Amino acid sequence: MPDSDVVAAAKKRLEESGLPSDWLDAPVHWGVKAKEQATPENGGLRFEYLNVDVYGEVPEVWQNNTEIPRGAIPDTRTEQMGYSIFNKAEVWSDLCAGLYEDAIADRWNSSADIPWDTLEPIGSDLERAVCQIATLMSEYGWTKAQTTGRWLQEISYGYIEVKLFLGTVVFDGARLYEVWRKRALANGGGLGRGGRNWKFLPLTQSYTFSEFCVASIMHDSMLLALLRHGEQLAQTEAERSIYELCQKDIERHLAYFVDHMRYLMLKEPVRREEIHRYMNKAEWYLAKDGDDTLYSALAVVMGDGREGAEEAMVDVAELRREQVETYLGYLRQCHLGDREDRLNEELRKWAGIAPEEEVEKIPV
Amino acid sequence: MVTVDKLEEMRLEPEVPELDLSWLNLDTEWGVSAEPGRKGLTLQQINKSLYGDIPATSEDSSARPRGAAAPEGATPRMTPWVLGDATETFSDSAALLYDEAVSRQWSSATDIPWDTLDELPEDIERAMAQLCTSLTEVEFIAGDVPGKWLPRIAADHFESGLFLMSQVMDEARHTDVFRKRALANGGGLLLQGGGGGLRQILEAEDFTQMSSMLHILGEGFVQSLFRLGELIAHNEAEKRIFRLAAQDESRHVAYGVTHLKYTLENDPDKAEEVHWTLDMFEDTLVDPDQANPGLAGALVYLLGDGDVDEGWRLFWHVRRKQVLEYLHRLDVAGLGGRLETGRLHPALSGALDEN
Ligand SMILES: [Fe+2]
Ligand SMILES: [Fe+2]
Repeated sequence: MPDSDVVAAAKKRLEESGLPSDWLDAPVHWGVKAKEQATPENGGLRFEYLNVDVYGEVPEVWQNNTEIPRGAIPDTRTEQMGYSIFNKAEVWSDLCAGLYEDAIADRWNSSADIPWDTLEPIGSDLERAVCQIATLMSEYGWTKAQTTGRWLQEISYGYIEVKLFLGTVVFDGARLYEVWRKRALANGGGLGRGGRNWKFLPLTQSYTFSEFCVASIMHDSMLLALLRHGEQLAQTEAERSIYELCQKDIERHLAYFVDHMRYLMLKEPVRREEIHRYMNKAEWYLAKDGDDTLYSALAVVMGDGREGAEEAMVDVAELRREQVETYLGYLRQCHLGDREDRLNEELRKWAGIAPEEEVEKIPV
Repeated sequence: MVTVDKLEEMRLEPEVPELDLSWLNLDTEWGVSAEPGRKGLTLQQINKSLYGDIPATSEDSSARPRGAAAPEGATPRMTPWVLGDATETFSDSAALLYDEAVSRQWSSATDIPWDTLDELPEDIERAMAQLCTSLTEVEFIAGDVPGKWLPRIAADHFESGLFLMSQVMDEARHTDVFRKRALANGGGLLLQGGGGGLRQILEAEDFTQMSSMLHILGEGFVQSLFRLGELIAHNEAEKRIFRLAAQDESRHVAYGVTHLKYTLENDPDKAEEVHWTLDMFEDTLVDPDQANPGLAGALVYLLGDGDVDEGWRLFWHVRRKQVLEYLHRLDVAGLGGRLETGRLHPALSGALDEN
């Protein structure tokens, strides 16, 4: 109810003019002042600070299929908007709001933030190899943005923080795509050969968001392990900063995916076997796809040309082992440590883990 | 349980990948050295070689970057279909607009001077809270829509894809900044104002129809309003919000206009379909039953700073500007004549009447 003469007078003026005035006495949660936390030391007015009073109540089940802002008063005439995700467990992580603001604070610009002038001729084999890697990186960026974007129309406003964060993932995906395209076209090279894309099917085909998340954990963690070798792989300062900046983005994405899956496993432990099936599928496609050209291109870079590639393959094998280990490490963080026992046979070989039947012979 | 130690004992050497160097001898275009320009190495700079040639049609549903060689062996279909015809999604300005989007990102946390939000009279604070409730709602759908279309954009037309990805980011920030304003100064979130054509934009199954509703008419109206944000704002924080959001909306509108222009130049038959879409969407926009019960009242109230008559006068000033700019954008896109042929909705053409 209007609690002051000012509001009553305003209501009267609007009504006399034929304008709706019910918004003036809507039962509002008056007095929420998020600005009070918005100091420069606090990072300004971050989204986390909005979650006070009813506005911070994130329901286990969200009941509304319209675009109504969480905490607003519904208009029951509004059409349903076709969202399909109304369960907190399916998408939630407490980290979302913070990661959203972090993504914005860490934003970078591939045009101006990469010291492109440090690129220099590196010999044709090396340039070919770097461009081959760049081509595959671009493909993943494109796929990441496309497949993440498609989930936006599924998630209801109840979990607004998740959607905001996923918006940054889409944008990061775009940058992952274009920064590597730029690298391929900036130093006397060109694009290489596209990948076979089988490994992306678990992302493009996912029916549930959790399925999309575990497939993303697999791809992101393996990419991250590779990006962490930037120092070794980069030929110039420009590449070094590309590796570094992309690494930071992917770490943020993983922080969300992993924390979300951890939350899901705690809330709905009964879904464990189902989730393993999604991982079975994701790993199967990855193993079968084999990232055909990636490892050979890495060998040419690490071997400093095609002559050294054969020998460098041992280092590449070690890098691929780290990729699988990184993946398993992230899964342990989301209470999916039992994956190691069930890892795809090909990936076991990549990681140098004994075949499952051998492990079973160890006396307990 | 198998212990970690036992497992360590069983560690094998990792399998060594097979070396295949066939990709070292491809016949993709080679020798490209894009040079950074004044704004660095932008998409425009790298689109100067053959890699900048945009195919009129693409049948590639994979993620393969334009200009890369096809992979060897079997490949899967990634999506049931992509919009392979450039007239479906392309815009000559998409690359430029993406470059701009990247360089003009802003933070609602740190780029808005929130400390200038002084205590406002309760009627004004409520009106601003209502306006921001409606705006955060609209912006929410504006982000869902490009997300929905992303999987259907052909990688060969990546410029449009990248632009839409930047729009997803921009709309996340708009959803967030208006929610922040509503919750920053005591007001809170008020009445949902469902309707007004949001559903029509989301449900459209033709990209150009969607874009003419979202980018040209919907965001066009929003942009005209934001550009007059000085009339609504009561402090530096609010002014800055409208100014920065208007800058973003300009890009979204520009994409819609240049896309429609490209489409009509290459597929003139599409004009009637777009006219028809706009007939429907204008009708929805001005339908009193679709109107947000709070939005109009709050806007009028804010424009007049509590003086409702003055608010109405300014409201028609805003509406007139919205309609004029809308008609101008359609002219630029090659879809002029809605006013002259009497096709523009009477409630909108009526707004052009000075009185
Ligand atoms: Fe917007
Ligand atoms: Fe917009």
